[in-house]
Amino acid sequence: MAKFLQRLQSPSGERPGAAWWAFVVIASLILALLPQTLGLAQLLDLSVVLVLALLALSMSFLWGYIGILSFGQTAFFGTGGYVYAVAAMNFDSTTLPFLLGIVLPMLLAAVLGYFMVYGKLSDIYFSVMTLVITLIMNKAMRATSGSQYVVGDVRLNGQNGIPGVPPLQVPWNPEVTLFIDHVYYLAAALLILVYIGLRLLLTTSFGRVMIGIRENEQRIELLGYDARRYKLLAFILSGALAGLSGTMFAIWGNFVAPEMFGLDRAAEVIIWVIVGGKATLIGPIVGVGIIQYLTSWLGMQGVGQVTLVLGVILIVFVLAFKDGLVPTLGNLLLRLVGADPESRIKKGSDLEKGSDL
Amino acid sequence: MKDVAGTTLIETRQLVKSFGGVRATDTVDFILKEGELRCLIGPNGAGKSTFFKLLTGQIAPTSGNILFDGDDVTGLSSFEIARQGIGIKNQKPDVFDGLSARENLWLAAQFDTDKKTADRRVERVVDELKLGAFVHKLVGELAHGQRQWVEIGMVMARSPRLILLDEPSAGMDQEERVRTAELLKALNTTTTIVVVEHDMQFIKRIADVVTVFHRGKILREAHVDVVLRDPEVRNVYLGRTEVV
Ligand SMILES: Nc1ncnc2c1ncn2[C@@H]1O[C@H](COP(=O)(O)OP(=O)(O)O)[C@@H](O)[C@H]1O
Ligand SMILES: [Mg+2]
Repeated sequence: MAKFLQRLQSPSGERPGAAWWAFVVIASLILALLPQTLGLAQLLDLSVVLVLALLALSMSFLWGYIGILSFGQTAFFGTGGYVYAVAAMNFDSTTLPFLLGIVLPMLLAAVLGYFMVYGKLSDIYFSVMTLVITLIMNKAMRATSGSQYVVGDVRLNGQNGIPGVPPLQVPWNPEVTLFIDHVYYLAAALLILVYIGLRLLLTTSFGRVMIGIRENEQRIELLGYDARRYKLLAFILSGALAGLSGTMFAIWGNFVAPEMFGLDRAAEVIIWVIVGGKATLIGPIVGVGIIQYLTSWLGMQGVGQVTLVLGVILIVFVLAFKDGLVPTLGNLLLRLVGADPESRIKKGSDLEKGSDL
Repeated sequence: MKDVAGTTLIETRQLVKSFGGVRATDTVDFILKEGELRCLIGPNGAGKSTFFKLLTGQIAPTSGNILFDGDDVTGLSSFEIARQGIGIKNQKPDVFDGLSARENLWLAAQFDTDKKTADRRVERVVDELKLGAFVHKLVGELAHGQRQWVEIGMVMARSPRLILLDEPSAGMDQEERVRTAELLKALNTTTTIVVVEHDMQFIKRIADVVTVFHRGKILREAHVDVVLRDPEVRNVYLGRTEVV
């Protein structure tokens, strides 16, 4: 137990052990069985947590693995949603729109990332630039209320958004469309796969070089690696993930609107990741869950200034638990089981700093 | 491989680097033959580290040229120069603090090869540098001297043609210094090396030709015994008689 808990720190390049796989299996089982006990409304709430967790992972993986802070993952999230919506309403099938909802944000990330990475933007400008991009896209999308803004048969509708986004069809049987519980299962499966994929990515040499860049970009270059290439590839991957999240969001809500690109959403992503902890992959997922439920609970209590409350939470977390909830709780648990969280450094195995989670 | 009469490995022509008004490197013409083990000395601020950073593309020269193995490498970025076969240990330890020593070495070793070969290279370096005792520890938790060893190991793991070491023995105790000197001599049988050092005992142990930097310029370049007796060198750099 102590050994398992000792791994609640930032990801390392070692292969995940049996404990990690056990954790994945148990979490999958829980996700698979939950619909038995939940009503449709609760399932709907939980589904969006899973969908948004993909968006959180797209940011935390960039930040936690390679050290790039992107404030504007919503640019790809919104693009994914709109691409799916517009394509699904134009085409008969939803399979291609689903794929386009991933590929087009990925291409957008490739183009933007290319200019930002190869344009030698310093880290802080990179962060600001991503935020500016998503705000511009938000503004642009709001400005499409005129009837001249159509793509195929679909009006973009400006700030009113596009209602009636078609549900996802089963690729091999277009007659059947996914209902609420199916969307839940799909979201859960995608999240688990992405989680496993990102963790295993670290065991590849690509993943290790990413961590090297996070630790010391200069040294990575002096060893002969072109850090820009790795940064661009990581950014493209994160764009694809955010696009997938946006596509699923459109499917989940049958609706897209410019808020998907907006400042509130962009800020929320940052809050999820900081509250949950960027250093682990599980942290941001937990962060999404907590914040989503807190937001709806505050809404039900009639608290008007939800954003304000979230802002305060963010500040508390930045000041009090700067590693985020999951790593902090991990260290706490370690103390409870009698292990010194710092001592893992002295004991000696490549996993010491490593988190399997 | 003391083939000092052999081919020129690295050369600078009229190399200049200005920081604002300061000429940290001032029209330096430097030639190093394949197989040499050269020491660079000079007082603090003489421009030694800047010169190394120019050679490895960490900073771009204001003017002048750098030739490596006959090719003009001026203006290449540091990863391109690293791929040409130049490895450097900077003055300030430049390692991956959040990773274990082994992972540090592994990142260096696996650059141009498969995992198996990389693992072998790591083992070789761990053996040669006797890093076994702390290879699993986080580099950020190591003593300064040990961090230096890890960084030297990273440079060695890449098997470059030219190794630049900026004050490798700083922060090491006497025994470690002797070991470092012996290591450099052994390395020199296969690799060309330039070392920036302050420790005169260390320099005498390893050096043949010494280049003295002063205010960005090359002040002298001669055999270590000649240089250390040179009154001008003693004047600008040593200022102390007991070292000779
Ligand atoms: N990045 C920099 N910006 C401004 N001045 C610098 C910079 N790097 C070095 N210098 C200046 O260049 C001169 C040479 O420094 P350096 O190469 O570090 O000397 P040394 O390694 O011989 O002690 C010093 O005057 C130093 O202040
Ligand atoms: Mg120096």
